[in-house]
Amino acid sequence: MSEPRTHKVKDIFVEGAIAPSFIAESIAKHSTRTDIGAHGIFLGQVRADTVVGADDRPPATTVAAIAFTAYREMALERMTAIREQAFAQWPSMTCLHVHHSLGTIKAGELCFMVFASAPHRAAAREAVAWVVDRIKAELPIFGREVLSDSTHLWKTNS
Amino acid sequence: MEVLLFGMLAEKAGTSRLEVEAGTLADLRRSMAERIPGLHHIDHVIAVDRVIVHDDRTLTGREEIALLPPFAGG
Repeated sequence: MSEPRTHKVKDIFVEGAIAPSFIAESIAKHSTRTDIGAHGIFLGQVRADTVVGADDRPPATTVAAIAFTAYREMALERMTAIREQAFAQWPSMTCLHVHHSLGTIKAGELCFMVFASAPHRAAAREAVAWVVDRIKAELPIFGREVLSDSTHLWKTNS
Repeated sequence: MEVLLFGMLAEKAGTSRLEVEAGTLADLRRSMAERIPGLHHIDHVIAVDRVIVHDDRTLTGREEIALLPPFAGG
């Protein structure tokens, strides 16, 4: 799967959860690229966190889902810059695919995928870790945590 | 000029777009604080033309301004 290293803005957003079958298909598409020796894949899953310290909530209140929204234009501009920096930092990287969900994603479902491929393992895994951290810190994506008691909180990345 | 609001700030304001008159970013911050209850208690940054800015600057009115609460991607 060849990926032109251009400045073209790629849309990373998908409506709804990322299906495990989509990930399997993404992996399969790389079989023609026999110069690849390693894939690094990060998958973000919505966690049913227990909400503590909230005033009058029942003690077993958990996150049932996260509703994601984004400032799409800015997020895609930031993503283009991050992608270019990743390719500059790991020039051997063959390709980099990023997908992030918008809309309501239930606990246990996947909402984020970063998939880097390279001839050797170091570039693939280092690039994935770096890109994941940059996305979490720099992309204007917002998460409304829908709780099991039907109230909500706003998620904040630490 | 129009200011785009996101996440908890859109929820607080009850809208995702506010119309304000502001000649500088400092004016805009003051005006936003009047329009959005409790804004100074909410962590946020301002993006001008999709880039986060922390300093004051003159605005022409043609910029794309957005108020961004904490990010939560991933």
